Amino acid sequence: MKKAKRLNALALSAVFTMTVILTACSSNEGSPENQNGIKPPKEGEQVTLKFSFWGDTIEKKTVTEALKRFEQETGIIVEPMHVPSDYLTKLTTMVAGNVAPDLGYLSSGAALSWAEDGKLLNLTPLIESDPDFKKEDYLDQIWYDYAPGKTIGMSTAVEGYGLMYNKDMLLDAGVELPPTEAGKAWDWDTFIEYSKKLTLDDTGKNALDPAFNPDKIKQYGFQYDPYNMMAAVVSNGGNFLTEDGTGFGLTEPEAIEAIQKLADLMYVHHVSPTPLQTKSLPDMALQTKKVAMTVSGNWALQAFAEQDFNLGVGVLPKLKESNTLLDGAPTVIFSSTKHPEEAWLLYKYMADPESVLPLIAGGLWMPLKKSWYTDPELISKWASGNKAHPEGYTESFMKQTLENGIRTPGFEVKNLTKINALVTPALDLVWTGKETAEQALKGVEPKVEPLIQGYYGR
Amino acid sequence: MNTPKFIGLDNYTRLFDGTDQYFYNSLAVTFKYVILRVPLGLIFSFIVAFLLNMEFIRGKSIFRTIFYLPVIVPAVASSMIWIWLFSPDLGLFNSFLEALNLPTLNWLYSEETVVPSIVLMSLWGMGSTIIIFLAGLQGVPRSLYEAAIVDGAGAMRKFLHITIPMMTPIIFFNLIMGSIGAFQVFTEALIMTQGGPNNASLFYNYYIYREAFLFGEMGHASAIAWILFMIILIVTAIFFRTSKSWVFYESEV
Amino acid sequence: MLRSRRISQITVYFFLLIGAAFCLLPLFWLIRSSLMTSIQIFEMPPKWIPAPFQFQNYVEALTSIDFFRFFRNTLTITISCLAGALISSSLGAYSYARLSWPGRNIFFSLLLASMMLPSAVTLIPTFIGWRLVDLINTYFPLIMPVWFGSAFDIFLLRQFYSSIPKDLDEAAYVDGAGPWTIFYRIIIPLSKPALIVIGLFSFMNSWNDFMGPLVYLNEESKFTMALGLQMFQSLHSAQWHLLMAASTFVIMPVIIVFFIGQRYFIEGITLTGMKG
Repeated sequence: MKKAKRLNALALSAVFTMTVILTACSSNEGSPENQNGIKPPKEGEQVTLKFSFWGDTIEKKTVTEALKRFEQETGIIVEPMHVPSDYLTKLTTMVAGNVAPDLGYLSSGAALSWAEDGKLLNLTPLIESDPDFKKEDYLDQIWYDYAPGKTIGMSTAVEGYGLMYNKDMLLDAGVELPPTEAGKAWDWDTFIEYSKKLTLDDTGKNALDPAFNPDKIKQYGFQYDPYNMMAAVVSNGGNFLTEDGTGFGLTEPEAIEAIQKLADLMYVHHVSPTPLQTKSLPDMALQTKKVAMTVSGNWALQAFAEQDFNLGVGVLPKLKESNTLLDGAPTVIFSSTKHPEEAWLLYKYMADPESVLPLIAGGLWMPLKKSWYTDPELISKWASGNKAHPEGYTESFMKQTLENGIRTPGFEVKNLTKINALVTPALDLVWTGKETAEQALKGVEPKVEPLIQGYYGR
Repeated sequence: MNTPKFIGLDNYTRLFDGTDQYFYNSLAVTFKYVILRVPLGLIFSFIVAFLLNMEFIRGKSIFRTIFYLPVIVPAVASSMIWIWLFSPDLGLFNSFLEALNLPTLNWLYSEETVVPSIVLMSLWGMGSTIIIFLAGLQGVPRSLYEAAIVDGAGAMRKFLHITIPMMTPIIFFNLIMGSIGAFQVFTEALIMTQGGPNNASLFYNYYIYREAFLFGEMGHASAIAWILFMIILIVTAIFFRTSKSWVFYESEV
Repeated sequence: MLRSRRISQITVYFFLLIGAAFCLLPLFWLIRSSLMTSIQIFEMPPKWIPAPFQFQNYVEALTSIDFFRFFRNTLTITISCLAGALISSSLGAYSYARLSWPGRNIFFSLLLASMMLPSAVTLIPTFIGWRLVDLINTYFPLIMPVWFGSAFDIFLLRQFYSSIPKDLDEAAYVDGAGPWTIFYRIIIPLSKPALIVIGLFSFMNSWNDFMGPLVYLNEESKFTMALGLQMFQSLHSAQWHLLMAASTFVIMPVIIVFFIGQRYFIEGITLTGMKG
């Protein structure tokens, strides 16, 4: 027993040491493997696909049911693999262990770099050889191309951004409700004025009042998560990288101006809580009337619909032009799958809004197909007549996302995770009021520049 | 997470020549944590265990269980409490400071206080160390104390000349395990700070995790992990060397 | 003299009670939140008592995931690990503390070294190892390592064993006992508090382990409660009230096991006191 244990300890340590040493001396610049050859399944063979995904209990239920229906319709067995958290850790481990699922969700940064390394299937040949599938039926913005003509597929869902507010608070303060049409979007000064009107101190004075006390604010006009700052940047005509993909876009004047204007909402106009104050604000700030207006992605509607307040939606206030962000994360097919054709069948099935309708009608997702944004009959299935999609939604979110939705950097910026690891701490200085946007971003620019590698798919 | 290729020592040179922006920063942050956390943790849990072990205390079972609770409650619940306790605006700690007319702090949200705040949190989760000390205190033979009372020793002398020496193997254990654990501090950074603000809580282990699973740089992550391994190994070896002069075993080990 | 003793006793109680209040806070918070709506949970300044009590949270939490199956799975893993931890670590520690064999110190260093590499880099090599023996999506990767002895447990027990006077062994050797008899008759009975500590920690670890089951288990029917809890949370939203209710269920057995386990500390005293 003792001896065995010793031997085991020795063997284990040895194996383990070797593995880690070997990994320590390896790099990431290997040549991509090409495993995109598609083999048709043998006659009569029972095909089983493994589909991995994340999500809360509602999403889990809907996705699992959709997979079940697919199974019944096609006879292809699908094993759902719901990963309750640390998704990327689990998937990285599975891929490294050569037991990746056949297809599933993936975060955009990992997906694009894994695709470059040959770990994911290029869907272009499948799409081109499929007479039933027309790429133009789907939104143009949702494709993740990792090289020209090579795609890993579409986003799992569309997530457009917009303004969400507590209607009663605006009515109480006598503030005109935010417009829902792009052409009528508030300009920045109007937005600040209304936000000030909605910001109250402990004696009930609003931020327009000269006697207003900014140290004792009990209700804020507008709250935003710094994560959403790209919405202001694109509205001011800026972007994360320069158009040609060679420069750091956030140090361009329009981006700096936009970010500074957001910071000014906290430290000059006192209409937005600072990150410090946000930490103590409940998730339910709209309902509890701590905050009158907020900016968020479409997904927030699902949670707001369950709360008890008079939810309103509008287009985002504009800096130069009225537009919005379009966010997402792809569903991909892993190149290790033995059944690419069947995986593609399932892929198409899950991309069909009809298959996952409860998530779309519930406010978590927006559909991938264009017709669901234009055909009144299809629109009525999700975007109106339910609590998650209040009046004005079709204009302010649906139409705005389709027509003026600008993709978030995650869709196409190379090396984004590493760049963000530098940009986020720098922006912390802006959000905490220690530095101006210009100081912070110019300060980090020399470190960011060597990491810039342009755009995927161009 | 790409195809491996042998590149010799490049992953290591990248660290020391400053190409890697986070290496020295995360080393500094981690050492700051270890230096605060290890001694404070040992002293704090030893005192609690000692008090809990006093003969006159009633309801020992209840007290022991209560002091172990912070370890049992899942992090999702306890991190919510800490976010509230540390909240600069409405938090309990700042209300307390205000009541005493002291300046309030930004706790987790400023570069200066984030590491001490995490140390404070970790002291609260010292239940396991307390329990190990308690089990050790049970093992101190009562006859020794009785003999000391016959010799007329006071409480302090009993503590210094019987309790402490008899407990040195357990103190040594907790010192070693506490240091190994503190160098690998991780969860707090993952759940509560994500290494921020401005990388002030970018603990070494979180930095490794980020390289491995967020940046997909497994090779680089392994390289920096080996450096942490060496550091812990050296620190532990030093402790073992010095242990001969202060740890008393009943039997030779 | 008596009076000053009284005062010092009160002081000790005072500090213990403050500490206890602080330590009770998370449990109280958990239970309080489990009886609120998700909105009440976040009200600021916080409310201490739910009004009204939302007992239906518990029903909803236990029915929206397959809780009882997860409970059974967790129990299977926990008990298998508990047995392994006690058997392997007590034997291993005995060998390191009491027997002498060539290379013992080197092996002990290796044992400690196994704790010094962060799991972020050992996860994948270990996973590949288990895949080579085709045991992914089984409980083996969660249970077997414990049966080969955990470094923490062996080191802890070694420290305890080495505080047991060696005269006892020697007396037994003179009486003709072998190492097994000494282990069974002397070492084990005298280290009961330490074994209970190991047992408690092992129970806690497998009960709450989250990363292991997450990485090694794929089918929901094999999931543990720690994984089940995560289902109430997602990227953008969390059903906090259900999460809290389910968490309360998950920790109750741990509290009970702990409460029962620690009572055996008392027994440890008398035994050691008699023989020491």
